[in-house]
Amino acid sequence: MNILEIKNLVKDFGGLRAVDTLSLSIEEGQILGLIGPNGAGKSTAFNCIAGVYPPTGGDIYFAGEKINRSKPWNLCKKGLARTFQIVKPFSSKSVLYNVMVGSFVTTDKTSVAKEKALNVLRLLQFEDKKDERAGNLTIAERKRLEIARALATEPKLLLFDEVMAGLRPAEVDEMVQIIQNLRHQGITIFVIEHIMRAIMALSDRIVVIHFGKKIAEGSPQEVASDENVIKAYLGDEYVVS
Amino acid sequence: MTRQNINRFALILVGVVAFGLPLVLRSPTYLHILILLYLYAYLTSSWNLVGGFAGVLPLGHSAFIGIGAYASTILSLQYGISPWIGMIVGGILAAIVGILIGFPTFKMRGAYFALATIAFGEGIRVMVENVDNLGPLKINGPRGLQIPPTNIGFGNYMFAGKEPYYYIILVMLLGILAITYFISRSKLGYYLNAGGEEPEAAMALGVNVARAKLIAMAMSSFFTALAGTFYAQFTLYIHPKSVISLDFSFEIAFIALIGGRGSIAGPVLGALLLRPVSDFSRIYFGSTLPGLHLIIFGTVLILVMIFQPRGLQEPLTRAYNRLLDKIFGGTEQKEITHEYS
Repeated sequence: MNILEIKNLVKDFGGLRAVDTLSLSIEEGQILGLIGPNGAGKSTAFNCIAGVYPPTGGDIYFAGEKINRSKPWNLCKKGLARTFQIVKPFSSKSVLYNVMVGSFVTTDKTSVAKEKALNVLRLLQFEDKKDERAGNLTIAERKRLEIARALATEPKLLLFDEVMAGLRPAEVDEMVQIIQNLRHQGITIFVIEHIMRAIMALSDRIVVIHFGKKIAEGSPQEVASDENVIKAYLGDEYVVS
Repeated sequence: MTRQNINRFALILVGVVAFGLPLVLRSPTYLHILILLYLYAYLTSSWNLVGGFAGVLPLGHSAFIGIGAYASTILSLQYGISPWIGMIVGGILAAIVGILIGFPTFKMRGAYFALATIAFGEGIRVMVENVDNLGPLKINGPRGLQIPPTNIGFGNYMFAGKEPYYYIILVMLLGILAITYFISRSKLGYYLNAGGEEPEAAMALGVNVARAKLIAMAMSSFFTALAGTFYAQFTLYIHPKSVISLDFSFEIAFIALIGGRGSIAGPVLGALLLRPVSDFSRIYFGSTLPGLHLIIFGTVLILVMIFQPRGLQEPLTRAYNRLLDKIFGGTEQKEITHEYS
C-alpha cells in the first residue's frame, strides 16, 4: 500500500513555479530519497506535504486520505512528522522538554509524555544530554534533537529535510545508522539529502527533481547513471556519450 | 533533613508568616501596602499565563480589570446581585472579550502585538468614558461609580477593616500561583512555551498554537477580571482612569519583566521588589517628586534587561540552590531551572 501518494502537485509563488506537476508515491516501510540541485523545489514539496503551504494544484494522499489543505498539527496527529532543514529547537528549554512537546501528541499526561520522551532519547542514544539546554547543543546534536522530537510524535511517515547537512563524515555514518534503525521499526521515511554517499546507502528508490519537475526516478544505481541527472547536476558537457 | 523537606518547610514558613502578619501588623497603612502588593502579584501571575508562557507581551490587561470591576459593581448597584456572583460574571465576560481581542492580535509578533493590545485597552477606556448609559446599564462615563458602604458583610464583599481584604487577596494569590504552577507542568504549558518560542516547529509537532494561546488568553482575562472586582470592592469607587488605566497594564508588565516572566515565582518577586518602591516614593516624595517610582522602575528595568534578561528570579534561584548546596555539601539532584522557567 502507498502510504503517501502525490499526484500532479503544483506550487506557485507569485509568477514562480517552485513545484511543477510532481507525482510520486512511497510504499509503506520504504525509504524514498528526494534529490535535486539547489533551488529545485525539494523543500517546497516537503512543505506542501506537511501542510505548511497549501498546494496550488494537484492532490496529496496520506494513507489513502486526501490531505491537501490539512493543518500541520492535524497531519502530525495523523502520523506525519517532519524535521526542518534549518533546525528550530526550543532553545531556552532542555532537550527533554523539547522532546516532550512532541510526545504530548499521543497523551495528555505529563508523566506519560516524559516516559515516552525518555524512551525516544534512549533509542537515539541521546539520553545523557536530556538536561542540556537545547540552545547549547552542537549542530549534530540539534539535528538529532529534530529527529527525536519528530519521532516522539509516533509517526507512520517521517519527512527528513537535510538532517545530515553540516555533519562530519563520522556523524553522517551515525545518522545513516539511526535512519536505518527507524526503518526496521516499520516507519516509512521520505528524505531530502545532498550527501550522495548517505542517500545512495539509504534509499530504496530515489526521485530527482530539477526546476520543480521530476527528471528521473529509480533505484540509486539507475539514478546515478541517468543522463538527465548528470546534466542537471554537472551541465551538458559532462555527459559521457 | 533533605532538600525537598527544606523547600517544603520554607514554603510553609512563608505561608504561616503571610497568614499571621495581620495579627502582628496593626497599622492600616502597612496592611494597605501589603494588599496592593498581593493584588499586583496576583494580576501579574494572571498576566503571566499569556505574557510569560505564551511569549507575547500583552499591554492591555487593564481592560479586563475594568470589565471585572464594572460588571460586579453595576450588577450589585442596579440589581442587588452579590459582588461574589458579579465577580464570576465579570470573569466570564472578560474571557469572551479576551478571546475576541486575541483572535486578530495573536497573528502579530513582538512589538506589534503589544501595540495592538494597548490600543484595545485604551479603546475600551475611551468608550467607557464616553458612555453614560449602555442600554439599561448605568455606566456614568468619566464620573465613575461609587459603592455606598452601607451593607457591610461577607455576602456583600464589603468590610469595615482591612484584614478581610488582606485574607481574600492572599487566598486569591495562592490560588493563581497554584494554577500557574500546574499549567506550567501540563500539556498546555508545554504547548504555550513551544508555540511562543518556535511556532513553526511547534505546529509541526502537533501543537495548534493559535488555540493554545486563545485558551491561555481566556484564562488570563478571567482571572484578571476577578481582581477587578476585588479592587472595586476594596476602594468602593471606580472610574475609567482608575481601573482601565494604562498604568495598571504597564506596572504589571514591569513587575513581570523584572521579576522574571514565565516563571511561577517571578511575579511575586517582582511585586515584592517594586511595590514598596512605588508606595514609599509616593508617601515620601509624593508632593515633591511625583512619578519618582516610574523613573526608578525604568532604571531597574533597563539594568535587569541588560544583566539578567530572564528576570531576577534566575540569579536568586541559583543563589538559593547554592546555599542549599553549601548546607548539604553536594550537588544532589540539581534543579533544572531553565526547564520550567
